[in-house]
Amino acid sequence: MSAFGYLFVKEARQFKSNPFMPVVLILLPLLLMLVVPLAANMEVRDVRLSIVDRDRSTMSTQLIDRISRSGYFVFSSYEDSYEDAMEQLSKGRADIIMEIPEGAERSVGNGENVEILIAANAVNNTKGTMGGGYLSSIVTDYSAELSGSSGLETSSPLTIIPQYRYNPHLEYKLFMVPALMIVVIILVGGFFPTLSIVSEKENGTIEQINVSPVRKRDFILSKVVFYGILGIFAFTLAIVIAHFVYGLASHGGLLEIYVSSMIFLVFMGGFGLIISNYSETMLQSVFLMLFFVLIFMLMSGIFTPVSSMETWSQYVTYILPTRYFVNILRAVCLKGSSFSDLTFDFVMLSVFAVVINIFAVVTYKKQS
Amino acid sequence: MDAIVIRGLRKSFRKDQPPAVCLQGETVIRKGELFGIIGPDGAGKTTLFRMLATLLDPDEGSATLEGLDVVRDYRKIRTILGYMPGKFSLYSDLSVKENLEFFASVFGKDIDSNYDLIENIYCRLRPFEKRKAGKLSGGMKQKLALCCSLIHSPSILFLDEPTTGVDPSSRRELWENLAQLKAAGMTVVVSTAYMDEADRCDRVAMMKSGRFLTVDSPGNIMKRFGKRLLAVRSDNMFSLLKDLRSLDAVEKCYTFGDTHHVTLKDGTEADAAMIASELESVYGHKGVKVYDVPATLEDCYMNLEEE
Repeated sequence: MSAFGYLFVKEARQFKSNPFMPVVLILLPLLLMLVVPLAANMEVRDVRLSIVDRDRSTMSTQLIDRISRSGYFVFSSYEDSYEDAMEQLSKGRADIIMEIPEGAERSVGNGENVEILIAANAVNNTKGTMGGGYLSSIVTDYSAELSGSSGLETSSPLTIIPQYRYNPHLEYKLFMVPALMIVVIILVGGFFPTLSIVSEKENGTIEQINVSPVRKRDFILSKVVFYGILGIFAFTLAIVIAHFVYGLASHGGLLEIYVSSMIFLVFMGGFGLIISNYSETMLQSVFLMLFFVLIFMLMSGIFTPVSSMETWSQYVTYILPTRYFVNILRAVCLKGSSFSDLTFDFVMLSVFAVVINIFAVVTYKKQS
Repeated sequence: MDAIVIRGLRKSFRKDQPPAVCLQGETVIRKGELFGIIGPDGAGKTTLFRMLATLLDPDEGSATLEGLDVVRDYRKIRTILGYMPGKFSLYSDLSVKENLEFFASVFGKDIDSNYDLIENIYCRLRPFEKRKAGKLSGGMKQKLALCCSLIHSPSILFLDEPTTGVDPSSRRELWENLAQLKAAGMTVVVSTAYMDEADRCDRVAMMKSGRFLTVDSPGNIMKRFGKRLLAVRSDNMFSLLKDLRSLDAVEKCYTFGDTHHVTLKDGTEADAAMIASELESVYGHKGVKVYDVPATLEDCYMNLEEE
């Protein structure tokens, strides 16, 4: 048997004989995926609004003025047609489109109902729902005022027809579930190999390996591969739950999902190796890992949209590989995007995986 | 033939502290020798072992094992070396057999290829083959660790404090095992803090503060002990120690089991009877017994320290 072979078998035996870890591996995705989506919700600001004002009347100006004063919206563009605005939306430059139809003021004056269209990009569900909600309440207020001042009988002359793109039923869960799949892979892919390496340091078994002819390369590789496979297993469990419990992943290709998660696992493996290079005890490594995992989770758009962050921290997200992984997973799961749509994210994710592993090997050699 | 040659090894971990190991001159350990390194905790024994076992690079000096340099040829050394660290460091979550199998395969061997070498030791472990290594008793862990470091039939074996925390009968067994390995032609280097064990070695190095104080056979070391040594007892052992130290003729006094050992200054006229009467008349001790004793290795060690 090759060196890699028996080291791999040893990892598997150790994992199997551990009474705790196999349970964690199954319970972690199970609980995260089944419990958390029912519990979380959030508020948004700075919703980017694209306005199609075809009326260009006093009334439409007043309405827009009122929206701007609410403080929840930034006006990203003024478009002439719904199609133009839709393009902004699909390119991700706007979150919500509001269309005021031609002759709206006149119709209101004649006592007719006017339909104002609000289309929200609900890939980021929180932003879509909440932004759409804020917008409709502003319009409703304004229309109540209009009907009051004009003295007409129609209770509200303006009606809103919301239309949520990519997530038509505005399921917050559809936003949360891909996020939790990422959390599963971060936790399994990050903590498992790190703890395994550091526990060998702590127990002194790494000394026994070091005085033997085993190459460090094989030793590290056996761990990264073994725990990578476990990561894929936990991730698959999460996908199965996402599909059968939440009806997700019906839009995108599984290939994109698995390729991106494997690249990401390689990144996490290398990252864990760096952490274990610099920590002597399990406690140290856990705290160090937790610190970075929290940054990965909270600063890369997994739970809160990147666009709602401070400008400086938005730039920080570019150096977090999770940002790209989140983009890929959400786009594939919700929009059904494919490799060609996500070239940039895939390239960036791969670059991170390669760079971090080079760094890991270099620092590992320095430590020994 | 020389199995191990050490030339002025030096290693320090912190600049503001004296070096952990600072050996001067050349020390040679012959092939097939049972060599002991004796010293108290913190003498630098483990650091020395780690350098010889290629786990730690020396700051200065060099060492060769079977002609292979510990820094340059570390890869080759690792195939001919067995190292048993002081701390139990096998996989405690794997079974006895799995550990042995794993360490055999690490060296590209299987259990059967060198079974005759470990048979005497492993036969005691056989009933526990399926038990997790972490659940074994201290003595059994020690036996398993020895088996694992022997399974590839090394030509040099390092044991770092193998008897610390092991019961007396297991200690005796271990030394018997080491004697068998030596008889089979293996070079064995053992470190220990117990002086009584050093008698079983062919030669010992007495180590203190990172230096070898002396390197010789236990017999020669004891023969060279040139001072007069007395054992002293009385009913009040505690104040006896203090009183003995205040005597003019006494050079050094330390506790030794249930007596105090006293070395006398060179050229003094004093003998056992004179010291006994002085203790009784001047200090009022009762039940005083003073008699000459032959020096043990521990006495040699205690007296070497000062130099």
